[in-house]
Amino acid sequence: MSGLPGYVFVGAVLFGLGLVGFLSRRNLIVVFLSTEVMFQGVLLNAVGFGRHHGEPDGQVFGLFVLIVAAVEAALALGVVVLLFRRKGTLDAEAWKELRG
Amino acid sequence: MSITIPIWEAGVLRWSLLVPLAPLAAAVLVGLFGWILRGASHWPVLLGILAALAASLVILSNVASSSPEDITYRVFNWIAPDTGRFFTVSFRVDPLTAVMLAVVCGISLLVAAYSRDYMREHGHAGRGYERYFALISLFVASMAALVLAGNFLFLYVGWEAVGLCSYLLIGFYYDRPAAAAAARKAFLVNRIGDFGFGLGILCLYLWITPWVSPGENPLDCSAVFRNVGHLEKWQATTIALLLFSGAVGKSAQLPLHVWLPDAMEGPTPVSALIHAATMVTAGVYMVARCGPIFMQSDLAIAVVAAVGAMTALFAATIAVAQTDMKRILAYSTISQLGFMFLALGCAAADTAVFHLYTHAFFKALLFLGAGSVMHALGGIIDLREFSGLRRLMPFTYVTFLCGGLALAGFPFFSGFFSKDEIIAAAFDLHPSLGIVALATAALTAFYTFRMIFLAFHGPRRVPEGAQPHEAGPWMLIPLAILAAGSFGAGYVGVTASPEGFLGLLNPGGAFHRFLRPVFQEQHPVAMFTPWPEEHAGHGLTWLTIAVSLASIAAAYVMYARRRDWADAAAAAAPDLHQLLYDRYYVDELNEALIVHPLRRTGSIFFGIDNYVIDGILWAVAAVPRVAAFVLRGLHGGAMQGYGATMAGGVVLIVILVLLLR
Repeated sequence: MSGLPGYVFVGAVLFGLGLVGFLSRRNLIVVFLSTEVMFQGVLLNAVGFGRHHGEPDGQVFGLFVLIVAAVEAALALGVVVLLFRRKGTLDAEAWKELRG
Repeated sequence: MSITIPIWEAGVLRWSLLVPLAPLAAAVLVGLFGWILRGASHWPVLLGILAALAASLVILSNVASSSPEDITYRVFNWIAPDTGRFFTVSFRVDPLTAVMLAVVCGISLLVAAYSRDYMREHGHAGRGYERYFALISLFVASMAALVLAGNFLFLYVGWEAVGLCSYLLIGFYYDRPAAAAAARKAFLVNRIGDFGFGLGILCLYLWITPWVSPGENPLDCSAVFRNVGHLEKWQATTIALLLFSGAVGKSAQLPLHVWLPDAMEGPTPVSALIHAATMVTAGVYMVARCGPIFMQSDLAIAVVAAVGAMTALFAATIAVAQTDMKRILAYSTISQLGFMFLALGCAAADTAVFHLYTHAFFKALLFLGAGSVMHALGGIIDLREFSGLRRLMPFTYVTFLCGGLALAGFPFFSGFFSKDEIIAAAFDLHPSLGIVALATAALTAFYTFRMIFLAFHGPRRVPEGAQPHEAGPWMLIPLAILAAGSFGAGYVGVTASPEGFLGLLNPGGAFHRFLRPVFQEQHPVAMFTPWPEEHAGHGLTWLTIAVSLASIAAAYVMYARRRDWADAAAAAAPDLHQLLYDRYYVDELNEALIVHPLRRTGSIFFGIDNYVIDGILWAVAAVPRVAAFVLRGLHGGAMQGYGATMAGGVVLIVILVLLLR
């Protein structure tokens, strides 16, 4: 299990785990963590395909995404802290104001 | 031959620019800076009107000596309806214009001077004094524009502008419901007439355009009058009748007379100036000016005569039974305007203008005299409330009597000469018209002196708390000047002649000779018929004098000597008296036949709008609302719900892609 299929398989597993975590957990921080895991799964795909084609694009792209994800993580954690201050809970169910 | 030259090359006639512009400048000045001027607001207006009067006198003395050619003075090009052709703002300065301008500016100046004191006591909290004088000045400017206009479009502008001033001044006391209603009524009734007038101008434009030479404006008076002979008979009739409908509205003829009596809600000097002496005569002026159009159609000219005669008699009968002095004078104005239209219909335009001119003096005088009574009695004007003012207000009494004698056609007063001419002209056209005119003259003398005897004679009786007093010189001097005019103004219209009446006077004088170029020489088909030489008119003149004196005597007996006879006369025919007192129920008839059905129709359309159209709109709007009601169940609001939907969607797409490959 080396080479492309390994990357793709691990990427798919990471994405799947992230998706399950996103859908099943209530804690906002864990939900956010799960989205990051999904990110990494997708990223692993990009890197793997880059290697497979012998081009650096995938890895360069990966670096960019990592940076953006880090920035975004800082922002999102700030938002989560604010949400926590409002309601005193991290439960995602507490925020259902968009219900039609 | 007709030519167009710029106004600044018009020699001394270029002063005609000053006639509308000086009062307009005064109106703008007082309108903008009235809050500074306040109690001095009358000064700019008096000066503006004085300048206009001086300019119109210059025109009056120079217009006769200027060339008899048909000249249009262009002020500036205004609108270009198509290439190479302009609607111009242009003046037409001829003897008719000059006479009208002098009358309008002269009467306006006297009324404005009178208002200086009157409006101090009868003002209005809403900047009344400044507003009043600004509007009066604006009115003079508009009227001058109307009279000077050498172009039908510009004439229409002046026509509407005087209507606007009239509306604003009738509603001067706008917080009084009756005044607001009267202003609205005047505006709406005039709108009916003006709609016809506007249509008439459109028809002129449509039908005259093919005949005018390129570059010439088809709405210039000169172009219209030169080419109107080319029109088909029915076209000329249509145009003449449409234009006449405008005159019927503005000059308060049957059936659009209803606004004028109500217009008395405005301040009394306004009634004197706008609703008696000047604006309401604009219709007469317009028909006289458009004589060449009216002469193309026998039907139109007959309609003018018939409407005039009917209105004259109709309004005079109403005036007999009214008790409000201003209302009597209002109906008298309607009746006298009917006289003028009768003269126009009898192809005696110069006589109509002569009566317009004498009427301006005595009717303005009578209104201002009524205003003086109102001023003295603290706003009361109903003849049942007072009597015997003769000794309390001798000056007002004497001047009012002068006006009354002129209105009644008492010999050697101005109204006598003009009215005599109209009656003679009516008899010349048809005996029935002459008899109507004679009957109207009798009624006129009767109601005039009924009013005078009731107000000034009899026991001294004044309303509670009123302190009757003569007003100050600002009010009395205009009265005196107008009284002199009421007596003497007629002498320019007669000629001294040993064959004349009493061996002294023949009808037709300097006034008629002055106007002759307008009505005869410029337009070969004109309305002017020379006064028949053999018609010395002595028999008829004696008859009109007898009728007038007999009516005055009857009024004297019934209202000064034996009041019980008057009451007995009213009691003998209570229905007739009630009919006249209620003004033939014309207002009620209009209410029932026009206003009420219109309101009904309005409420039907309101119902349609409210239920049918709004229902359709509601149904259209319901579609997205129902859709939203169904779809909004999908919005749970929970973040993970959206996530699951998204994931499901992705899975669905992947499956579809795999299946469809």
